[in-house]
Amino acid sequence: MPGAGYTQPASADAMVSVASLSHVTLRYGDGPREVVALNDVTLSIAKGERLCVLGANGSGKSTLASVICGLLAPDEGTVSLLGREVFGANGVDIDGYRLARHEIGLVFQNPDDQIVTSIVEEDVAFGPENLGLAPDEIGVRVDRELRRVAMQDYARSDPSRLSGGQQQRVAIAGALAMEPRVLVLDEPGALLDVRGRRGIMRVMDTLHRDGVTIVHITHFVEEALAADRVVVMNHGHVMLEGTPEQVFSHGDDLGSLGLEMPFTARLSTTLRDRGLDVPWTCDDDVLAEALADTLGPKQARVDADGQAHEPQAAEPAPRTAIQVDRVSYTYHDTDGRNALDDVSFPVAQGASVAIVGQTGSGKSTLMRLICALEAPDQGRIVVNGIDTATRRNRRQLHGKVGYVMQHPERQLFAETVLDDVSYGPHNMGLAPEEVRRRCDHALALVGLVGKEDASPFQLSGGQQRLCAIAGILAMQPDTLVLDEPTAGLDPRGRAQLERILDDIHDHGVTIVRVTHSMNVAARAQQVLVLSQSRLLMQGAPQDVFCAANKQMLHDAGLGLPDALNWALRLGLSEEPLSMDALVDAVMHATRPTISKAPSGAKGVDVRGV
Amino acid sequence: MFVAFRLKMGQYWPGQSILHRMDPRAKAACALAIMVSVFFVHSVPQLAFAWAVALALVALSRIPVGKVLESVLPVVAMLVILAVCNLLLVRTGSTLVRLGPLTITSGGVWAAVLYSLRLVAAVMAAALLLLTTTPTQLTDAFDAGLAPLSRLGLPGHELAMVFSLMLRFIPTLADEASAILDAQTSRGGALAEGSVVRRVKAVVPVLVALLASSLRHANGLSRALDARCYEGGATRSHWHPLHMEVHDWLALAVTVVYVVVLILLG
Repeated sequence: MPGAGYTQPASADAMVSVASLSHVTLRYGDGPREVVALNDVTLSIAKGERLCVLGANGSGKSTLASVICGLLAPDEGTVSLLGREVFGANGVDIDGYRLARHEIGLVFQNPDDQIVTSIVEEDVAFGPENLGLAPDEIGVRVDRELRRVAMQDYARSDPSRLSGGQQQRVAIAGALAMEPRVLVLDEPGALLDVRGRRGIMRVMDTLHRDGVTIVHITHFVEEALAADRVVVMNHGHVMLEGTPEQVFSHGDDLGSLGLEMPFTARLSTTLRDRGLDVPWTCDDDVLAEALADTLGPKQARVDADGQAHEPQAAEPAPRTAIQVDRVSYTYHDTDGRNALDDVSFPVAQGASVAIVGQTGSGKSTLMRLICALEAPDQGRIVVNGIDTATRRNRRQLHGKVGYVMQHPERQLFAETVLDDVSYGPHNMGLAPEEVRRRCDHALALVGLVGKEDASPFQLSGGQQRLCAIAGILAMQPDTLVLDEPTAGLDPRGRAQLERILDDIHDHGVTIVRVTHSMNVAARAQQVLVLSQSRLLMQGAPQDVFCAANKQMLHDAGLGLPDALNWALRLGLSEEPLSMDALVDAVMHATRPTISKAPSGAKGVDVRGV
Repeated sequence: MFVAFRLKMGQYWPGQSILHRMDPRAKAACALAIMVSVFFVHSVPQLAFAWAVALALVALSRIPVGKVLESVLPVVAMLVILAVCNLLLVRTGSTLVRLGPLTITSGGVWAAVLYSLRLVAAVMAAALLLLTTTPTQLTDAFDAGLAPLSRLGLPGHELAMVFSLMLRFIPTLADEASAILDAQTSRGGALAEGSVVRRVKAVVPVLVALLASSLRHANGLSRALDARCYEGGATRSHWHPLHMEVHDWLALAVTVVYVVVLILLG
């Protein structure tokens, strides 16, 4: 029995607490480069509890995860895992750590690194095999855990062909198959799309019901709402602690900690600020109920199905930046299925375009073609008046069209930030002074001035991304194509990058970006919806994201922006796409007498505000 | 280049044929014997026999012929070059064609045909092994092959684990390589143009980035192995422990007979 080592009954306190940290401090590096990752952290995790640790990147939350699951010993303090003191005044108890690890499971960010074999069920069996269990027992556990994470149909699949969300569920099954008494999930959704994250959250709900103790580390505040208790970390300190409701009532503080408030909490705060009599809450059911009382009977939806959204009348068209004309493309190594099938659309000069679609819908292929990395099999793509059909033309476009790949920090290679950023302009054959001028400008744009001589590999994760993006901006592209540029960034990093992109767009650069977030897509000027290699819809956000399209978007694995979902739930006649528009719509609906149009009559169309 | 690599390694094709159900150790031994035996092939009857057995094995595996061909194809380009060299350079036998400086002899034709066909037979055996054996089984077979090392106290089990991880990470790194290649190309890195020196220089930004990426994976992987209590191979149990069944011993015996007959045919 692996648990035999610590069955001696300890104090009553230790019986309920599966892990407890007392005044724990942990430092990385030494001398001037020393970083205090954990600073006097005291924390106790109760059996069966669902604890959420929130924090921005660099707040020490990942280090905390490693300490809780026994992978790192601190420098100071006391650590007890599963009732046994493994670190304290007597130093490290190596045996204790080893035994504790047998009963604490860990799932972390990158599913790629956690899956060690090439077949799903064999991977789930890996942990139990390491524990030396009997084959029959392993079989039972593999079967049970794959079922629990709803992956039983993929038991014989190759993990590298699964989506990130599915891979992450396999990783969770692999951890659960070791029957841990605590499961630590270190940002399990950071690299996933919305759908994948939702799948992980559902699995966590199931585990919580089954009585598994869960420590969930994340920077997505919405995910904290389901926890029993929330701990907010900043600079290695525990800053806030309490129920989600308690923690999120410190709205303003969260901003300074690099976090944000959940949508519902922001909505109720704003509505209260505008004088509406609703309780402050971060529970959407509570808010919806309160609003239903205030709003009275649902208004008849004037703008309901049937009345199709006419595309806006063609205005005098500005110059076209990108013309995609009946494009099809097939990868040679696949079974002949088109990666893109007869896709056509124009992009105006200086526009901002959002591309949305599920994994495998053809988004990445479309980006590669627009960036002139490949020519379409059929049809034509003309960028800045240059047809991408020939290799020579494509060469001309490299640099004119900037391509920010997913996780662009993976392209960093040079010894210094300046060298890396100058790679592109240098390849363009510019004079050294001009190269330097452009690099300085690009670094100023992303806020990395002063880091020129640092090694890109020593920057923080967020800074690495900005450095990579600077390397593309330094080529001064007319068109910037980005693949999920904010993936993996915390709220502060996301906000910073959005500001930079807005700034670049204001300077007349055409922006085409793939995004998983409908809220982000709703801020673009033009939305393209891809589904199964085809262009399902395109148009202005208010034409794509409307009640009439809800089902079609759902079928394509997508959804509506939060604001619109709220409006539909409340039965508002307007279709707001942003928080501000939603608040206006709610205020508008609560004062029908002031409104010019009586409720039920033709609703004032504020879409697109 | 990277994509081709990705496709050919560890392409397991699920199935229930007798080849799929064989013990991986026996299967690997048989496949190795067949691959080595082709070098004894020098005559038409031998070639016919080797091919007949190879095709019979493909039939036994119940893997679509197209799938097997797909695995063999990458080698074909190399074989064609080899065949052309044989055709032009071998000067034995009677002269068939003389075209300026080019002479094609009957010996050259025979060498071109023989060397290509027998190598294709060997590659087919290797492809069948990879197609019918899961990477885990392959690793177990590898582990068994390294058993003498382990008995001497050398890290045989750990080497087998490394082998398994290699199979697992090749597709991942191949994908990353092509993403980085795209990124650097769109930054004007001329990877497929210019002189050799320029091309080699242009590869550096891709290789360094890929190396950094591998290190990141290595870090993550070590954390994962720790968290999943991997403490070296010796203490592990196996979900599907290997058992040599009657049909495995039979297969080994048949393979021995095959090799003997093949040599006798010569």
